[in-house]
Amino acid sequence: MAAEVQVTIVTVRDIFQDEAGRKSRFSDEYKNLSALIILDKQDMIRLEAKDGQKLLVKNDVGSVIVAARTSEDDMHPGLAFMYNSPWSNQLVSDVVCEGSIPEFKNIKATLSTTEENMNITRISELQARMQS
Amino acid sequence: MAICTGCSLLCEDIVATYENGALTHVKNLCRKGHGHFQAAFTERTVPMIDGEQVTLDSAIAKAAEILKSAKSPLLYGWSNSTLEAQAAGIKLAEKLGATMDGTSSFCQGILMERILSGKIPSCTLDDVRNYADTSIFWGSDPSSSHPRHLSRFSYYPRGEKRQKSYEEERTCIVVDVRKSATARLCSNYYFRVAPGGDAEFMEAILAVLEGKIPKVGDKKKMIELGSRLKKTKWGAIFPGPGMIYSLQDKMELFERLVAKLNEITTFKVIPMVGHYNMRGFNELMLEKTGFINSVSFKGGAAVHGPEHSAMAAAKTSDAALVIGSDPLSALPFGTAHALARLPLIAIDPRRSLTTDAAKVVIPSAISGLETGGTAVRMDGVKIKFEPIIDTNLLSDEQILTRIMEAI
Amino acid sequence: MVGAMEIYMLLPKTNCKKCGLPTCMAFAVGLLGREKKVDECTPLIEEKKYEAKLKKLREVMAPIENASETGLIIHPERCFGCGNCVVACPVNVAAEPTRSAVGLGPESEKVILRVEDGVVVANNLKECRRFGPNKTLCNACTATCPSKAIEFV
Repeated sequence: MAAEVQVTIVTVRDIFQDEAGRKSRFSDEYKNLSALIILDKQDMIRLEAKDGQKLLVKNDVGSVIVAARTSEDDMHPGLAFMYNSPWSNQLVSDVVCEGSIPEFKNIKATLSTTEENMNITRISELQARMQS
Repeated sequence: MAICTGCSLLCEDIVATYENGALTHVKNLCRKGHGHFQAAFTERTVPMIDGEQVTLDSAIAKAAEILKSAKSPLLYGWSNSTLEAQAAGIKLAEKLGATMDGTSSFCQGILMERILSGKIPSCTLDDVRNYADTSIFWGSDPSSSHPRHLSRFSYYPRGEKRQKSYEEERTCIVVDVRKSATARLCSNYYFRVAPGGDAEFMEAILAVLEGKIPKVGDKKKMIELGSRLKKTKWGAIFPGPGMIYSLQDKMELFERLVAKLNEITTFKVIPMVGHYNMRGFNELMLEKTGFINSVSFKGGAAVHGPEHSAMAAAKTSDAALVIGSDPLSALPFGTAHALARLPLIAIDPRRSLTTDAAKVVIPSAISGLETGGTAVRMDGVKIKFEPIIDTNLLSDEQILTRIMEAI
Repeated sequence: MVGAMEIYMLLPKTNCKKCGLPTCMAFAVGLLGREKKVDECTPLIEEKKYEAKLKKLREVMAPIENASETGLIIHPERCFGCGNCVVACPVNVAAEPTRSAVGLGPESEKVILRVEDGVVVANNLKECRRFGPNKTLCNACTATCPSKAIEFV
């Protein structure tokens, strides 16, 4: 049984991902820079994951498969970062108190490693889910 | 000189060489702005109905037909449109009895309301450059989101009263959940807060300013921060989504902190608006309706409330027009899903998740590059711009006017 | 940036003195300071067993050899185009008190740093304070960079 790790995901901005998204939302470059989760070293060890490892990120709202990346920041176990994108938004609930902003920066989710043959969630899959 | 509409700094010193249908050389654009300019040459939209290419006239006619037959349409976006287009949009909303909302209801709205009503003191970015000796980036990372913020205004330039600038006269402070690119530049005064911990941190600053022992944070560092703030002659705070999302209904606490700082010295606040004309939309809506966003014209008069926010209206509307925005990328899945089920009209220069899901796509000219107009910078300064590339494409304003005429 | 020890590990470590220096470590320091060239280590070039080391050494030396005379290296792929260095550079400030110094994009040909096509480029490096007989260890451009896109070797 693969390890599971609970994290709080904060969505943040990245200039390279922003640049890629301006050029095209449908490019591999945008996917590679968006379908990412940045984790603390300790969480990477707990998941037995290396950089580039595909992880299933799941919560009550939805799930996506993204690549893991080790954070360059100091220690922040339990805290993960994703760049704002349709991938991170799969995990953001739209059920909020009236007048409140959705929790874009406070997303609870569970991480687990995936089978080798699983692919990073494609933008076309996300589009199909939205239009279903 | 060209203006960059890539973010709400609206940089005015861009030198672009346009030859044979391409931008061959551009000076002074940051990486983000460069991406914005280059995007003019990829994935442009064409007029479409149900995924089939049609003439512009039929797309406009179809859009008018959808809006006319809808009982409660939503008009959403507006942060990437000129003031002229926004004004045309408000007229259209009045005519249709539609709901009108912009991206600010997901972002800076709750702070912007307080800035525009004067509850929180503000200033221009030029004032910051000329006078500020302390800049606080709170839940914002301008190096990533507004790359030239620090170099043009808030930290590195020389100003009227700040000739020795960052070397001797300016301090920058970062409060954030992560050591961002900006935090690395301000590492002497970087304060890490936990997600949702901003209110607690504000209480701690208020405590040290009142000479009490703070409850959170490294006490020595907090006291040092307190004395830095007290020594400040002219300070500026730049709150980003990090602070706003974390505070939400506790925005009053920030108001109190700013008031307290102003009892001691001068502190101004400029919200880190993302899109180039989000503030313009808020100002124009306030002027025309009395509210900055989330307005319904259903009964004729403008009514404001959270039930008229795009997030709520996506679920109650029966059609939506989205202009210059990609909510299917940027909003929570549930809202994206609700929008995608509606007959959607997307006015956008470029392909997006929203144009892909739209029943009607109307291509528009890119403001700043292909069409001129007026926008409001994040600090409230109005900036007028002229196009630098010739195009046959209609501007947002022209498209909205034509839709209105057809209704 | 690569250090002398990392370079040393890629040398034969025989202290043969064929390069004219007493030790391989001294040669490594010489390479880093751009006083020596890889080709001066003849055993590394001539002996087949060092082939892999030579290849790796050429890779790590490439940015150093491409550095300007002041030792300035720009990594455009890391650059945000923020212009912090443009505004902080004392030579830029002196050349343009009403443009670069106050945060506007440079117009003068005399500036060293400017942003073109979204990333920083350097010109007039002979004006850099790290150059010439009266050089100083100015680091205004590297200290203000959010992404380590500028380095000195």
